[in-house]
Amino acid sequence: MNILQRKLDELRLITRDPILAATILLVAASLVLFILWPLYEVLWEGFFNEQGEFTLKYYHDSLGKTENIRTLGNTVWLGVFVSAVSTFVGFLFAYADAFLKIRFKAIFNTLAILPIISPPFALSMSFIMLFGQQGFVTRTLLGLKETNIYGFEGLAIVQVLTFFPVAYLVLAGLLRQIDPAMEEAARNMGASRGHIFRTIIFPLVRPGIANAFLLVFIQSVADFGNAMVIGGNYNTLAAQIYMQAMGNYDMKGGTALATILLSVSVLMFVIQKYWVGDKSYVTVTGKPSRERELVADPLPLILVGVPCLAVSLFILVLYALIPYGSLVNLWGIDYTPTLKHYKYIVDLGLKPILDTTWLALISMPVTGILGMVIAFLIVRKKFLGRGLIEFSSLLSMAIPGTVIGVGYVLAYNKEPLILTGTATIIVLSFVFRSMPVGIRAGIASLQQVDPAIEEAAQDLGASSFKVFTSVTIPLIKSAFFSGLVYSFVRSMTAVSAVIFLVSASYSLLTVSIMSQVDGGKLGVAAAYSTVLILIVLVVTGILKLLLNRMGVNISDVQGG
Amino acid sequence: MNRSSLKFSSLLILVLFVASLALAGCGGGAPAKTETKQLKLTLYCGLMEDHMAKAIQEFQKDTGIKVDAVRMSSGEVLGRIRAEKNNPKASVWWGGPADAFIAAKTEGLLEKYQSPVAAKIPAKFKDAEGYWTGIYVGYLGFSSNAKLLKEKGIPVPQTWQDLLRPELKGQVSMANPGASGTAYTMLATIVQLMGEEKGLEYMKKLNGQIKVYQKTGTAPARMAGQGEVTVGLTFLHDAIKYQEEGMKDLVLSAPAEGTGYEIGAVAIIKGGPDQEAAKKWVDWALSKKGQEFGQLVGSYQFLTNPEANPPKQAEPIKNTKLIDYNLDWAGKNRSALVEKWNNAIK
Repeated sequence: MNILQRKLDELRLITRDPILAATILLVAASLVLFILWPLYEVLWEGFFNEQGEFTLKYYHDSLGKTENIRTLGNTVWLGVFVSAVSTFVGFLFAYADAFLKIRFKAIFNTLAILPIISPPFALSMSFIMLFGQQGFVTRTLLGLKETNIYGFEGLAIVQVLTFFPVAYLVLAGLLRQIDPAMEEAARNMGASRGHIFRTIIFPLVRPGIANAFLLVFIQSVADFGNAMVIGGNYNTLAAQIYMQAMGNYDMKGGTALATILLSVSVLMFVIQKYWVGDKSYVTVTGKPSRERELVADPLPLILVGVPCLAVSLFILVLYALIPYGSLVNLWGIDYTPTLKHYKYIVDLGLKPILDTTWLALISMPVTGILGMVIAFLIVRKKFLGRGLIEFSSLLSMAIPGTVIGVGYVLAYNKEPLILTGTATIIVLSFVFRSMPVGIRAGIASLQQVDPAIEEAAQDLGASSFKVFTSVTIPLIKSAFFSGLVYSFVRSMTAVSAVIFLVSASYSLLTVSIMSQVDGGKLGVAAAYSTVLILIVLVVTGILKLLLNRMGVNISDVQGG
Repeated sequence: MNRSSLKFSSLLILVLFVASLALAGCGGGAPAKTETKQLKLTLYCGLMEDHMAKAIQEFQKDTGIKVDAVRMSSGEVLGRIRAEKNNPKASVWWGGPADAFIAAKTEGLLEKYQSPVAAKIPAKFKDAEGYWTGIYVGYLGFSSNAKLLKEKGIPVPQTWQDLLRPELKGQVSMANPGASGTAYTMLATIVQLMGEEKGLEYMKKLNGQIKVYQKTGTAPARMAGQGEVTVGLTFLHDAIKYQEEGMKDLVLSAPAEGTGYEIGAVAIIKGGPDQEAAKKWVDWALSKKGQEFGQLVGSYQFLTNPEANPPKQAEPIKNTKLIDYNLDWAGKNRSALVEKWNNAIK
């Protein structure tokens, strides 16, 4: 009764504030329209047979196969393992960034986010060049003749590399925002560094850790690209869905599996919420605090710095191999230098490059701002259906792109909303697939910020726009920046969903890369990937400059 | 309260405004469509990208019809046609294995069209009712890495049994029959050749030799070319393509017991726009010129039109012994056979 009463009160409050109500409605409508509806369209398919009669056959078949049960186990184990390791590595980098006194921090920080720019195939390819049967490390250095990297180990390493930057993006801002005053107080009272870490820092970044873990988990279980190239016989649900739907021409069986995958992610979401709980994580209160004195003790430097250095070097080598592959005759076989792959690209036309960049650029601000607005609504406002908004905003990321891609076609290829073949549908899929990272980062950041700061600004007469741009956004600037960067990168490198949405009028880079790989033109694929990486680096650089100009000081937000 | 929400609304509106402007800009960039009765055509294509691009240009030169094309794997084409069933966006499906076309035909996604050119094409390469017609034939075989074979001191495999040599343990790659049409063709070939029981027994033994089951049909040839495995099981025309791209160590061979093949097909999508232009495309794709065009741009399959000359790159494998591959049987038993295979290799 009490709860009901409270909900009714909340509802009344909102109806009294029509503009807030309109914003909520707008957000809710967009989530329903662009996430829930396409999901419903495609998942619903799994309940009907060819004749349109209701059936549980596809679920029964999917769950009945021993193969699929094992696959489910594989998927969960991989997801937990990869999320734990990625969150740990991401935390190390974030900690080194915020707490340690090390040189060349900017380089470290750039390397830490480089792996989210992973053009399809390129990273796995570099990995194979290093550790495959003819790999430089495995064969040339170690003399191993028949190595096998295809399987859990290879897949787990590649996934950790690809996804730890997400954990880093979420955690970096949080750690930097912790007010050093608290630690200093503790130190003054004689607490050791280890004790402070356990009792102050770790508890404060708990929401960040939970969010990072959740995001990595969702992506790991839904990732089919890496699983396809390097997963070998360690089958995962996402790859199985693709195989069922695309290889076996059995979309219905595929969607049944997709529902199972979705339930796994939902379960993780619930666990995450439970773990973070309802505690207060406010650390940014607006009271003046001074710069953190960076740690220069040798022990933490070695414990944290050395692993970070090792990971950075590894990333550097993997990424250096991509442009190298584009400048030789044939990756892995003939290392005569050549520029022919770039010439081929220019001859074939720059359309894929321009189209992709353009569409990703359009999606970026939409994703970034919408993401922050949603995060704000979730953390700051109380209204009916808030949990639902938080939940559904995550869904589009939680199932493999192929499934959501089919959902988009099913939903938007009929009245009232015919979008297939347009750029709009591609942009929409970009926006809603990449938004969760911005939202999660925003939520974690906002939970640290005392709402009193914004209220104070408002009471002093700042206009709403001024408050948002000068107070809220700067306070959660790194989350905002993370959201923007991630959105752009993710849009540039998206593969699976867009394959159903591309039309002849808009060709996308990733699709070209995949077909070049298929055609054996590995050099051209590498050249496209190099161009893609360069574009991302340039755009994030410009973005940083622009945000600086616009008064959002992000000088301490590194992003290459 | 009011103020704080005002900022959201204004921001949201700003965002939507900017987005719509940008999108409008996109649309405006495309040439305004002032139709002067010019025929145009949209097709989904399962062939290599450069083949597609060049063929479109050539067709446009021949007929004046402007073609838009999107390249996808055959499973993706089928998935997309299915999803677009109520409002088809494309009218031709060009290239890709016939079994996918058969699945589409059963679901009523294809339009019947007996091209006048199709009369020349042998019956085994086309649908009896005219829903799809074969454009090329690709043979299944072995792509081996000569360097690795030499290192192990074994000859190029010439029979299915050769793959079971102890030296090749963990050195063979094929795609997963549950994922790839190529690999399923191989499974169905083995079962048709040896019978179900013996065939599955063979697949079980072969399983012990396999390093990795890839997920796409072309990947095993690429792995052999790069020396990741010694032998890859693939369609040989894909391996020829990789040879031409510079994978010099690849050698091709086909099993002496006989091998299976795929038929690549073309069909008209039911209810698609521009049916008139679609027919012209099918006629062109079946013609001597249309079929011979592939070899100029790196597609080395054998051709279905008896008047067309096969690519000279495929010369060494032209005497390959083929089994009498039963396409209908293979299509109908697909999921059952894959499940049996899954259980057999456990």
